[in-house]
Amino acid sequence: MLLAAFTWTEFAQQLAAGIREGAIYAGLALAIVIIYRSTRVINFAQGEMATFTTFIAWSLMNQGLSFWAAFPIVLAIAFTGGVAIERVLIRPVENAPVLTIVIITLGLALLLNGLMSMIWGGGNRQFHGPFSTRTIDVGGVPVSVQDIGIVVVSILLVVLLGFFFRFTKVGLGMRAAAVNRDSSRLAGVRVGWMLALGWGIAAVLGAVAGMMIAPVVFLDPNMMQTILLYAFAAAVLGGLDSPVGAVVGGILLGVTITLLGRYVGFIGSTLKLPAALLLILVLLLLRPGGLFGRVTVRRV
Amino acid sequence: MGVRVFLVCAAVAVMAVASAGARPVATPGVSSDEIHIGSSVPLSGEAAIAGNVARGIDAYFKYVNDKGGVLGRKLKYTYLDDGYDPGRAVNNTIRLIQQEQVFAVFSSLGTNNNLAVRKLLNDAKVPQLYVSSGATTFGRDYKKYPWTIGYIPPYSEEGEIYGRYVVKNIKTAKVAVLYQNDDYGRDLVAGLKRGLGAKAKSIVASVGYDPTSSDVQPQVTQLKASKANVLMVFAFGKFSLQAFNAVSRLGWKPQIFVNDVSSASSLMAIVPQKAANGSISIVFGKDPASPQWAKDKGIKLFQSILRKYGNGTNSRDLKDGYFTAGMATAYTLVNTLKKAGKNPTRQSVMNAATHLTERGNPFVLPGIVIRTTPASRYPITQVRLQRWSKGAWRTFGKLVSAKPG
Repeated sequence: MLLAAFTWTEFAQQLAAGIREGAIYAGLALAIVIIYRSTRVINFAQGEMATFTTFIAWSLMNQGLSFWAAFPIVLAIAFTGGVAIERVLIRPVENAPVLTIVIITLGLALLLNGLMSMIWGGGNRQFHGPFSTRTIDVGGVPVSVQDIGIVVVSILLVVLLGFFFRFTKVGLGMRAAAVNRDSSRLAGVRVGWMLALGWGIAAVLGAVAGMMIAPVVFLDPNMMQTILLYAFAAAVLGGLDSPVGAVVGGILLGVTITLLGRYVGFIGSTLKLPAALLLILVLLLLRPGGLFGRVTVRRV
Repeated sequence: MGVRVFLVCAAVAVMAVASAGARPVATPGVSSDEIHIGSSVPLSGEAAIAGNVARGIDAYFKYVNDKGGVLGRKLKYTYLDDGYDPGRAVNNTIRLIQQEQVFAVFSSLGTNNNLAVRKLLNDAKVPQLYVSSGATTFGRDYKKYPWTIGYIPPYSEEGEIYGRYVVKNIKTAKVAVLYQNDDYGRDLVAGLKRGLGAKAKSIVASVGYDPTSSDVQPQVTQLKASKANVLMVFAFGKFSLQAFNAVSRLGWKPQIFVNDVSSASSLMAIVPQKAANGSISIVFGKDPASPQWAKDKGIKLFQSILRKYGNGTNSRDLKDGYFTAGMATAYTLVNTLKKAGKNPTRQSVMNAATHLTERGNPFVLPGIVIRTTPASRYPITQVRLQRWSKGAWRTFGKLVSAKPG
C-alpha cells in the first residue's frame, strides 16, 4: 500500500476527524454510563434508540420543519420515549438478575430495528444537518464547519449535564439514587422516578448524537450499530460509572483509532479496531476500573 | 470400524438398487405448470436498496406469467432477505434448495454472499445463475465451478476502462484510490493498474477501508493529502456516499470516478452536488432517472410493468435503476429458460446460459449484445461511459468492451 508522506496539514485534519468521531462515541458512551450508573444495566438498545429518534427528526424535516424547529420536538419525544421504556419494560423486572434486563434491552434493539425498516425502509437517507458543509481555514488547515459544530454541541451537552448533576436538586437526587438506593429513599428521593429520568436523559443524549452524525454517515436503520460498539469501548475505557470518563474515553478512542489507522503502517484501516481494543485490554489489565472508574473492592 | 464400513457399503448398495429400479427423477423445481426460481438478497441492512433488484425481477416474472409464462409454465419466484450477511445467505440458499426445492438460484446479490454459497451449489449441481456481482472469479473459474455464471461486467474490466480513460484524457493525472478491502475492491484496483499500464505510477495514494468502518473520512483525508487530482471511489453503498461527503467537506476538487454498483442516480442525487458534478462512471443498463431515456420504449415498458406488477412500489421506484437492472436480468433468464427447452433440466439450463446470443434486451443500452460461450461466462461485456451533471447521468462516447482477456 502506498502511503502519502507525513504533512502537518493532514495530521491536523486527521486529528479533527478523530475528535469529531470521538465526540459522537462520547455522546453515546455518556448515555450508556448514565443508565449503567443508576441501574447497573448495559443498555444494548442505546444505538437503535438514537437511530429511531433520528428517523423521527428526518420525518419532521421531511414535512418542512427546519432542523432547529425539529430539534426540541425530537428531544422531547426522545425523553418521553426513554422514560416510557423504563416504566413499561424495565420497571417490572427491576429486581430480576442483570442478565434478564440485558436480554430485554437486546430484544428492544431488535424490535426498534425492525420497526425502522418497516416504517422507513432500509435504504440510505440524506439528513440535512444544522451545520454547513463548507470548510474554514484554521491556521492554514481547512477544517469542516460540520466537524467543529459537532464537537461544540457535544462539549456544550457535557457542560450542561455536569451543571445539572452538580447544582440541581433533581440531578443530585439522581446521583444519590445511583449511589445508594435505600438511603436515598429514606431521605425522600423518589428513586423509581430518578431511574426513569436517567433513561430519559440517556435517550436525549442518543438523539443528539444521532442527529449530529447522520449528516456525515447518512441515515439508515443500522447507522448506530458500529458506532455503538465503539461507544461501549469508550465507556469501558473511561470507566463504566464515570461520565467524565465516558467523554474522555470517547475522544481518546476516536483520535487513537484514526491516527493508528493512518500512521502505523501495518495496522492500516482494517486493523484499527482490533488494535484499539488491544490497547484497551492492556489498559484494563493495569487499571481494572478504567481511566476514571472506581475499583470496587469487596471484603471477603 | 469394520462394521461401519460394511453398513455404509450396504446402504450404498440398497440405494443403487432402489434408484436403478425407479423412474427417472423429475427435475426439482419444475412441475407441469411451474418453474420455481429463488434468490437471496439484502432487503434489510446497509445494502437494502440493492435488494430492489429482486423486486424488479418479481414484477417482471408476474408480467411474463400474465402473458402465458415460459413455454406454458408459470414462473414462481422466492426471494429471501440476507441483510447482506454471507452467513444468512448460506442459510437462505440451503432453505431454497432443500425446503423450497427451487430449480435454480438466480441473481443473488453480493460478492461475498455468492462466494459463500458457490461450492455448496456446485456440489449439489444447482445452477447459480447470473450472479449479481462483478467479481471476476464468477466468470473465470468455471472449470472448478461449472454451475456458476456471472452477469454484470467484471469489476476488473471496469477498473481497466477507468485507467485507459485517465491515460487518454487527463494529462498530468495524479490518481488517488479509495477501495473496499475485499475481492470486489481489489479487483477494481487491479484492473485500474492494468488500464493505466505504463502510467501505473500515477497512482499516488491508495487506501482501503473495512466494510465494518463507520465513516471513510479519515481515508479520504489521507488521499487528499497526496495532492491527487483524480479520485477513484471503489466503495459500496453508504461508504461511497460518505466519500463524496468527505470530499466536499474537505474542500477537495478531484475528478471523481465512481464504480458502477454505487452509481445509482438515487444515490448520486443525495450527495453534495459540488463534489458529485462531473463524476464519471460506466453503465450498461438504461437509467430510468436520466432524461436521456425519458421517451425510450424499454423504459416505458419498465415503468408500466412496475406500476402494474410492482409489489408496494411507489413513484420513486419508477426512477430506481436497481429495479431496471433486475428486469434486465429477468429478461435474460426468461430467454435462457426458453432456450433450455420444453422440459428444462438443470443441465439444459446451464447449457443454454453458456450459449447465449441475446440482442435487444429492452432494459440495457441499445447495441449491447449479451453473449456467452462455455469458456466465456461474462454475459455483459459492453458498456458506455457516463458523466453526472445537473442532477442526472448522461452517456458519452461509443460502446466500449469490458471483455476479459
